[in-house]
Amino acid sequence: MTPEQILQLPSMPAASPSYPMGPYRFINREFMIVTYETDKDLLRQAVPEPLEPNPEGQVLYEWIRMPDSSGFGDYTESGVVIPCLYKGEPINFTAQMYLDDEPPISAGREIWGFPKKYALPKLEVCSDTLTGTLHYAGQLVAMGTMAYKHQVAPGGVEAQAKGMTRTSCNLKIIPDVDGSPKICQLVAYNLTDITVKGVWLSPARLHLIPHVNAPAADLPVKRIVGGKHFISDLTLPHGRVLFDYLKDA
Amino acid sequence: MKKSEVKALASMPLQSPTYPRGPYRFFDRKYLLIRYRTDPALIRAFLPEPLEPEDDIVAVQWLDMPDGEGFGAYSSTVQIIPCRLNGEPCNFINQMYVDNSPPLAGGREIWGYPMKYGKAVLAVNADTLTGTLHYATQSVAVGTMVYKHDAFRADFAKEGEHLARTQITLKLIPDIDGTPAIAQLVAVKFQNVVVHGAWTGPARLELIPSVNCPLADLPVRQVVGGLHMVTDVTLPYGKVVHDYLAK
Repeated sequence: MTPEQILQLPSMPAASPSYPMGPYRFINREFMIVTYETDKDLLRQAVPEPLEPNPEGQVLYEWIRMPDSSGFGDYTESGVVIPCLYKGEPINFTAQMYLDDEPPISAGREIWGFPKKYALPKLEVCSDTLTGTLHYAGQLVAMGTMAYKHQVAPGGVEAQAKGMTRTSCNLKIIPDVDGSPKICQLVAYNLTDITVKGVWLSPARLHLIPHVNAPAADLPVKRIVGGKHFISDLTLPHGRVLFDYLKDA
Repeated sequence: MKKSEVKALASMPLQSPTYPRGPYRFFDRKYLLIRYRTDPALIRAFLPEPLEPEDDIVAVQWLDMPDGEGFGAYSSTVQIIPCRLNGEPCNFINQMYVDNSPPLAGGREIWGYPMKYGKAVLAVNADTLTGTLHYATQSVAVGTMVYKHDAFRADFAKEGEHLARTQITLKLIPDIDGTPAIAQLVAVKFQNVVVHGAWTGPARLELIPSVNCPLADLPVRQVVGGLHMVTDVTLPYGKVVHDYLAK
């Protein structure tokens, strides 16, 4: 394999790259998001400067079914997103993510710094209940339940599609071969080509169980704000550097 | 979290880093290594320049790692191409499959070990040391070796040398626009190698074609033999031996 071929590779291993070049198109991506309030001091700890956590102390706990994802296949994800402010502008910070498929774990971490670990999330309709579970290393660490399509969200699919264009960001850390930081950045991205096929609000509950390697419960549930369920097609493009800790800090 | 604390994190995510800082000591690390002859033209095609092929022998090995510092208990299957870099004998890590995120993420992000998620099992089944690998639900590799047929050997110097041989990985990390941010050959050598036992003997290897786990792209022409080892080793940080982005 020549140096020119090596520099054309989208990812490791050279013998069969984990993920192809982006962007990545998702069809029928189904979300269940339970919004809750937590302890504001703990939230401050979980958010890297220069981001500021939202003053309401809200956290989004998410399950996402992705049955048809270009380059990645069929998988499910669960995790914690914290609404934040960057220079006064709203931005969503992805704090934890758990999924059951290696290419999006590797691509997520290596391209954008999505903080992904391998675990077994599930999102399914169990009789009258939209149900999300997350097992990490054999143990149940999160269980969310939502009533099934009780109310179409105000503003419908158009308002939801507009809301999904909000900027999101991750803390990307890649060590050098000696363990020192090689890349340490806040990375921002915006979803594109969003079509929402349905969006519903319903009552929800969330149970988080303390676990050291999947610590969603480190941001404990104080009060449930509500549940949102929606189905969409969308594109995840490459990102941009928002803040570089090795240059700017 | 303060910016200075962010810079001091060992890995993502901030709230529970996937892997701590190295080095990483492995206790009771068991190997089943099967060497086999394959097509030299395919070796040349897979081996990144400036690495040079050594001969037509490659290896598939199974690892059972019940006690890996920072990583836990897991198993792995690895395809290795012996080669040379500037005349020095090395092992190029061509493919690697593990069933545990900390070594998967740490392996890729620190050294560029080309890890994907696969279910490897190394077990003694009746009289047979057996390695299996499943990827995306399908069986893709089966290795078998006789169990401790040469049981009374005490000199493991040769096996120690094998373990101390420089490993080379091709570390590729994209930038956020998809262009390469890191494209390096990385060298790493095990330290503090202890061989508790080592056995050689007949072995067989079956590799089944699978697009995302293409061990069979280096097909088995003839099995050379099996090596079974029980070891303790330390995996230290690596060093860059070639940078494809250097001008």
